[in-house]
Amino acid sequence: MSWLTSTVWAGTSMRRSLLISGARFSAISAASAIFLAACLGQICWAQSITVPSSAVAGEPLTITTTGSGKATFYLLGQGVSNKHEISLGEPIKLRGDALRNAGDYHVIVCSDTCHSATFYVSAGKPASLTFLVHPSRVPVSQQDAVSGVAFPFDQFHNLVLTPETINFQLPAGNGSLFNRSVPTQAGVAWFRTSSGKSAGALQVVAALDDFNARRVVQQVASDPCNLRLTGQRNAQGILVQTEPVHDCSGNPVPDGTIVSFTATAAGGKSTVDAPIKKGIARAEIEESGPVVISGASGVVLGNELRVGGKP
Amino acid sequence: MRRFHFFRVRSCATVACTLGFLCCSLLWPQYSGGADAGTPQVQLDAKKAAPRAVENLTERGIVRDYRVAWNNMALALELNSVAPLDGPFTGEAKTSLWQSVISQQRSGLSRRYADQTHELEAVFYAPEGDAIELHDTADYQLQILDNGKVVQEEHVVAHYVVLMTPSSDRWLVRYLQAVPQF
Repeated sequence: MSWLTSTVWAGTSMRRSLLISGARFSAISAASAIFLAACLGQICWAQSITVPSSAVAGEPLTITTTGSGKATFYLLGQGVSNKHEISLGEPIKLRGDALRNAGDYHVIVCSDTCHSATFYVSAGKPASLTFLVHPSRVPVSQQDAVSGVAFPFDQFHNLVLTPETINFQLPAGNGSLFNRSVPTQAGVAWFRTSSGKSAGALQVVAALDDFNARRVVQQVASDPCNLRLTGQRNAQGILVQTEPVHDCSGNPVPDGTIVSFTATAAGGKSTVDAPIKKGIARAEIEESGPVVISGASGVVLGNELRVGGKP
Repeated sequence: MRRFHFFRVRSCATVACTLGFLCCSLLWPQYSGGADAGTPQVQLDAKKAAPRAVENLTERGIVRDYRVAWNNMALALELNSVAPLDGPFTGEAKTSLWQSVISQQRSGLSRRYADQTHELEAVFYAPEGDAIELHDTADYQLQILDNGKVVQEEHVVAHYVVLMTPSSDRWLVRYLQAVPQF
């Protein structure tokens, strides 16, 4: 803008001086012609920048400028801030390693004035998946208990925003518990599904083209399905225990799960908590009279056990 | 003699303090003016977030932490210091901003952001709440400086794809990428 202002001012001054000299019409015409030619000449040699309409991360590109003479070239982008001297009119070659990060890049070329342009670098082909799976430990047969989110990234860790189809699989034995192809939207794909019926490690796989990401969810038995109590009197009192405790899918309930035994006798109630060890919970109740014993774990109640008094 | 020395020391200290105060007074308005101009305005529309809905408290937390992130990013790129990046950024966002600052330090360039407004839209909120993707339509004045001299100043309307993940007490910007449009 300052260059244009100064040129217009120079042209006006020239016209004034010629008017004073008396050679009116021809002089003005000549001056105008010279002025226009000078302007056109200057415009032709003022720099302009041409940047590519699209670019891919890590790939080299060329920026062209017009004009002549030396200028300062600036490139600012994500992770990049370069400055060097260039010759106007010669192509500027940017190496791929200067363009690894996807995003916007500002190009500024300054000689007497500065001109700028912006171009965008997009992510390349997917090269890896970030795969988040929840939870790490889940009871079996739970509705919508397992979920996963996948983000595809290119080799320079740029999020790939173009739609890609990700295949989510939960292989189980010979078959597959879950298998679904999900296209990414805005660089993300996700799924949610129920947990399987068997306790143990569950593989969760997200696959895209030739690569995949695997996570493991530990499936554990759900709450006990029923409790069966047995008991007998001994010298110290009553030894009461459960039969092997399973969930409703037949998986043994993990050791450490608490079973509460409650004894109701003439003197009142007493409760003993016992952890399951090797599938069975045991407790000893010191009661000499007749007693009714019940057991509970979580929301499940066991059978009532009636034990007579000490002979 | 000792008394004179005491007074001389005390007067020197007073002069130094006064000069220091004057310097701070002169410099502070510029600095605080810059910081005010750089305090970003952030709004979040979380109505379209799926598959999980964004709770009010979460929404407020994201707005607060995203504002801090842009404020600190502007400081880092203006002052060419990586220290402001330590709190609100992680992962790729932190790495690329770190590289930007180091690169600016080498080239003598800096960027100054002013009058920032950010209109965020939550487009994805993970089922377990461990990641959120936002689209940010940002509006700001950007100055590019070469050794303190402005070489470019422009009004920018930019679009950013943002990934944020929660840490123990705040949301961190994990990924920040400018795109031509959403």
